[in-house]
Amino acid sequence: MTLDQFVQDLSWIIYLIIFVVVAIHAVRRPLRANIDIALLFGAAAASIALSVATSTGLIARGPLITGLSGSLLVGMVYMLFRIVDDFSDVRPWLMRASDVAFALTVAGAFYFAFFPPQPLWFSTLALVYLLAALFYSVAAFARETSRSSGVTRRRLLAVMAGSASLFAIFILVAVTTFFPTLSNVVSPLSGLAGLASGIFYYIGFATPTVLRRAWQEPELRAFLGRAASLPRLPDTESIVKELEQGASTSLGAPNASIALWDEQAQVLKLNFGDEHMDLPPTNKAVSGRALLTQQPVFAPHITPDNPTYSIAKRVYGAKSVLAAPITAGPRRLGVLLVYAPHTPVFAEEDLALVQLLADQAAVILESRALIDEAARVQAREEVTRLKEDFLSAAAHDLKTPLTTLVAQTELLERRALRSPDAPTDLAGLQKLKREAYRLKALVLELLDAARTEQGKLVGELEPVDLLATAQDVCSRHTSERHPCTVEAQEPIIGTYDPNRILQLLENLIENAVKYSPDGGPVDLKLWREDGFNHLTVSDTGIGIPREDLPHVFERFHRGTNVDDRRFAGMGLGLFICRGIVEQHGGRIWVESRQGPAGNGTHPHGGSVFHVALPAVAPAATPAEAPVDAEGERQEQSVH
Amino acid sequence: MLIVEDDPDILSTVTDILEFEGYQVERASNGVEGLAAIGRARPELIILDMRMPVLDGWEFARILKERGVEVPILVMTAARDARRWAEEIGAQGYISKPFHLPDLIAAVENALGSD
Repeated sequence: MTLDQFVQDLSWIIYLIIFVVVAIHAVRRPLRANIDIALLFGAAAASIALSVATSTGLIARGPLITGLSGSLLVGMVYMLFRIVDDFSDVRPWLMRASDVAFALTVAGAFYFAFFPPQPLWFSTLALVYLLAALFYSVAAFARETSRSSGVTRRRLLAVMAGSASLFAIFILVAVTTFFPTLSNVVSPLSGLAGLASGIFYYIGFATPTVLRRAWQEPELRAFLGRAASLPRLPDTESIVKELEQGASTSLGAPNASIALWDEQAQVLKLNFGDEHMDLPPTNKAVSGRALLTQQPVFAPHITPDNPTYSIAKRVYGAKSVLAAPITAGPRRLGVLLVYAPHTPVFAEEDLALVQLLADQAAVILESRALIDEAARVQAREEVTRLKEDFLSAAAHDLKTPLTTLVAQTELLERRALRSPDAPTDLAGLQKLKREAYRLKALVLELLDAARTEQGKLVGELEPVDLLATAQDVCSRHTSERHPCTVEAQEPIIGTYDPNRILQLLENLIENAVKYSPDGGPVDLKLWREDGFNHLTVSDTGIGIPREDLPHVFERFHRGTNVDDRRFAGMGLGLFICRGIVEQHGGRIWVESRQGPAGNGTHPHGGSVFHVALPAVAPAATPAEAPVDAEGERQEQSVH
Repeated sequence: MLIVEDDPDILSTVTDILEFEGYQVERASNGVEGLAAIGRARPELIILDMRMPVLDGWEFARILKERGVEVPILVMTAARDARRWAEEIGAQGYISKPFHLPDLIAAVENALGSD
């Protein structure tokens, strides 16, 4: 046997094997793509059979056989074109044109078989048709390859290569037709091209499972490698997106989505890109079937009676779906869905893979749920701890004036009972008044702190002259030890809640005095800048240590340089100040220098509190949006 | 007896209550003043606030013990741990702020009687 003969025999054997494999596949799952592929190799097999039969003399050569042989070859190319349409969409007019050309070529082949010779023009036209069809097929497969990934991509590459080899064969045929003298050179080349096409088509159409798995492995490995870090992503949405991405690349399909199962509402939450759909579980939908049967499902065609049919088609252009339930132990978490626009992308073997990915997703989603639960528990504990801190801080401070109020009133009562004619104990009554006021201030402070939390500190707005208010508060707190001054170029008017602004100034000035135990000036400055009203309150007191600076405005915060027993307070004053400023749409901050350690005067220590308020504060609630000086309704701002 | 308490109004009220009942009362605003007062005259009972500046209740009690001064102590505090603190420093009793006048007097009599 010559090498040429060997190569040809080998090619034929490969094609016959391919035919058997795809024929069995077409019988098992009679989908259009599978049938087309079976017909392609059926034509090839028939052509081979015919060649064998005629060369061994089983059948006599004749015009019928000649015509048939030619038609079968043309038929192969025609079927390939149809297969292009199965893997990607070919325009309808092109398909019709191909149908017509095929019919004409077959008719011509038979005609000229019976009425030889076959004219050159016909051979040329036939070749043009075949080459054009093959060229288009190769280009179409190449384009689809660039759009696919994973197994699908490699299959398409193989099919493209196989088709390119066929193209080469026909080029060589054309060469022999026009230059018959070159047939000695051409013949072995076309034999090799034939062998190549057989091998490529085997890989592409009759992909052995081993090869499939080998191609899936790197994607799968990359996916599993990333899986461990997924539960730490900021939210469930990003985890789901990552899982969907991993699934689609691993399976070589363009789209994947995870439908989460809502146990309370008993619906599957499907998403298609930006669109959402809540689906009660039903067997009519692939996702529903996967959820109800807890088995992976392969649906080669999404049918119109599927409730997701129109949306899946519209958003994904999906025709074919793989679904697997995502279940962690007894808990149903959802369904993993992988969509493809063409049926031949998936095969039965992909079911095992999609279930594997779904199981992985289950573990990851459950980890995430546990992390979230742990975070919630921690947050609850934090809230409890804050409440306890609050209660213990508040309790002690409230109990102090209460002690005097209770004991002193009881004492006054006893004295009055024993000596009803005794003169009024003025000092005793003044003590009661003093303590009652202390208690009142503390209670109001606590209530304000609570309102700060709820964002309800600011009430009705009206024009407020900051300069006048500052001068008023200053004059009430000024003393020889703590002289208070206000510096401003002009009156500064803004639209604010006058009571709260007063409270703000009182708080800041009282703080300045309180934390300058050795005396010192308290200086206020006001000015207008860029549409904002600015205020600073400066003192030369004990200052604020660096580590406390970011925390001074927090609830219950007392400075680390503040001896609890020397400077009484619940740590709410600045917290409330911040609430007032921020709910007016402004900003408050502090610059401070801590004085040197010791109880003496701190010439270089002190704090400067800055407040910047917009000229017009935003309204407190939309329902009661007040009207400003120009009669315009305030817009509500988002905090 | 000696009252050691940093809040001036509570100090004066408790003093008034006890003087009204006929007791002789010395006053101190913190632990240091308290020790000075003990140095001048040994009291029958010490009513002790725990949270004070300069020298707090615990330090005060510890120093008394070191010096071997054995005077009954009545812990007076607003904290919830009044009973525990009293046990910690070996006090004879405790009273929680705010208190009712009769309860204060009863606690004082108890502490004095338990010698």
